Amino acid sequence: MSVGTQERKSLAGLSAAFQSLGRRLNVVPYLFILPALVIYGLFNLGPVLGSMVLSFFKWELLSPTSEFVGLKHYSYILRDKLFWNALSHNIIFLSLAVIVPVGIGLFLAVFMAEIAKGRTVYRSLLFLPAIFSGVVIAYVWKWIYHPFSGILNQTLDVVGLDFLALSWLGNPRVALYSTFAAYAWASYGYSMVIFLAGLQGIDREIYDAAIVDGVNFLQKMFLITVPLLRDVFTFVITLRILTAMGVFSVIFILTGGGPYYATDVIGVYIYRMIGNYEMGWGSAAATINAIIIVTMSALFMRLREREHRREGTQKAEIVDLLSVIDRREYHHRISGSVDPGDVV
Amino acid sequence: MTSFKSNKEIRESALGFPARIRFENYVGAWTGAHFDRYFVNSVIIGVLTVAIVLTVGSLAAFAFARMRFAGNRVIFFIIFIGLTFPVTARIGPLLTLMYKLGLVDSRWALVFAYAAGSMPFSILMMRSFFRQFPEELEQAARIDGCSSLQFFLQVLLPLSTPALVTLGIFTFMGAWNEFMIALLLISKNALRTLPLGLMAFQSEYTTDFALSIAGINITAIPVILIYVLFQRSFIEGITAGALK
Repeated sequence: MSVGTQERKSLAGLSAAFQSLGRRLNVVPYLFILPALVIYGLFNLGPVLGSMVLSFFKWELLSPTSEFVGLKHYSYILRDKLFWNALSHNIIFLSLAVIVPVGIGLFLAVFMAEIAKGRTVYRSLLFLPAIFSGVVIAYVWKWIYHPFSGILNQTLDVVGLDFLALSWLGNPRVALYSTFAAYAWASYGYSMVIFLAGLQGIDREIYDAAIVDGVNFLQKMFLITVPLLRDVFTFVITLRILTAMGVFSVIFILTGGGPYYATDVIGVYIYRMIGNYEMGWGSAAATINAIIIVTMSALFMRLREREHRREGTQKAEIVDLLSVIDRREYHHRISGSVDPGDVV
Repeated sequence: MTSFKSNKEIRESALGFPARIRFENYVGAWTGAHFDRYFVNSVIIGVLTVAIVLTVGSLAAFAFARMRFAGNRVIFFIIFIGLTFPVTARIGPLLTLMYKLGLVDSRWALVFAYAAGSMPFSILMMRSFFRQFPEELEQAARIDGCSSLQFFLQVLLPLSTPALVTLGIFTFMGAWNEFMIALLLISKNALRTLPLGLMAFQSEYTTDFALSIAGINITAIPVILIYVLFQRSFIEGITAGALK
């Protein structure tokens, strides 16, 4: 009987009926997230978990037979000098990364926040290196570092500092720092725009009050700006953890890990194994690296959050896209109205 | 600028201006070194990745943002942790999987790998964007007889164009610039993306500086153009991830 009544309904009515049935069973949300979950599960989370499982097996790419070897790969990797060598280079990268690109980004952002005119232009120009592929970055720097035709040694020659000219990528003692310079060039922009957005979220009245109190530039920077940007710092540094521990293409192209493994990093180390279809070894190394990265960033964020709570400040406010835009416009309006030049 | 010089000029002075502007290097790289092909591959892969990420990602983000269902928070967290995985953590099994699916040396392999890679960020970003619309908007649409899907397609998506543009640009640039996955999944010359092509090209023409710098520029200029056109969206994409 109910079928008979349904038949008389229009197609829209039928679909509405299904919809309400769906809502009662609550399948609609699951249908909505299903395609994303399938893609994410199959090509991202699945392979990550697969790496963890694979690391306990002897497994070559095209041979489907797999043999359980337990912790053999792990014990090999943890005793491998090259692994520790590569990891130590990642750690050096990370320690420099939280200072150099983050510091440059912060200072540029602070200066830019002071500029009233043409801020967008400066921001765009200074951010430019960050938009390129690591491959492009690497080739630009390879050209800069070229021993004879390179811009760096030629410039040193012109300025008369030719005794400083080096084989920047060929000398094992400086090569790691040379590659770091390329990485820093490609990454300070991220810190800069994130800090700038954070700065624009700070209430200008705080600064106005500080200026009345006679606070100088450095005091303003370290007593007001840096503490107010703490959540932004957390994000910027977390981003550095992720990129410095996962750095690959810049080093792969610039030096390939050489000379004599002087610039080898975990990314290149794993690539060598996977490239040789040593899936088990590669997966074990990848798992160790992933555990280090996830633990580092989780610990760091947890630590910051705890500090935060101890200080009794409010939990990190969720600011998202719209409110950032809103605030930016709000500030344009505020500063516009305060600007005496604007009063007609 | 150097790309307009001859090799002799570069050797003599890397910083000096060229005597005359030479386009030969570009023509040489574009046709002689197959950069036209790499360019097309990069465009196809970038566009398909963006299409998948925008439809699939925003659909899921809509459910996470505006629907109540069992496991909402848990599933969201599982997707969220994907932000911290390095590429190396999934590269091995991904390669095996693609072999098994017969997708090695196929553009689809890269499309799926990239779409899966940007899924956490896209869902996170669109979710917080969708969350800002007031509850009343949805109620009003419901009263007008909209289903969830209709509300999403006809009301929410048109209102979210700025966020979708931002996400699209961001995803496109990510796919355009990606290197490691492409390096392991693509071996056929005809299927190379620009970063791969650039690498092959550079190792082939190590001594021809002028030509190799033209190659770098062919890879970089489209990105610069997109950046100049959409720089607001681009920078907002980064800060959107940051201030969450």
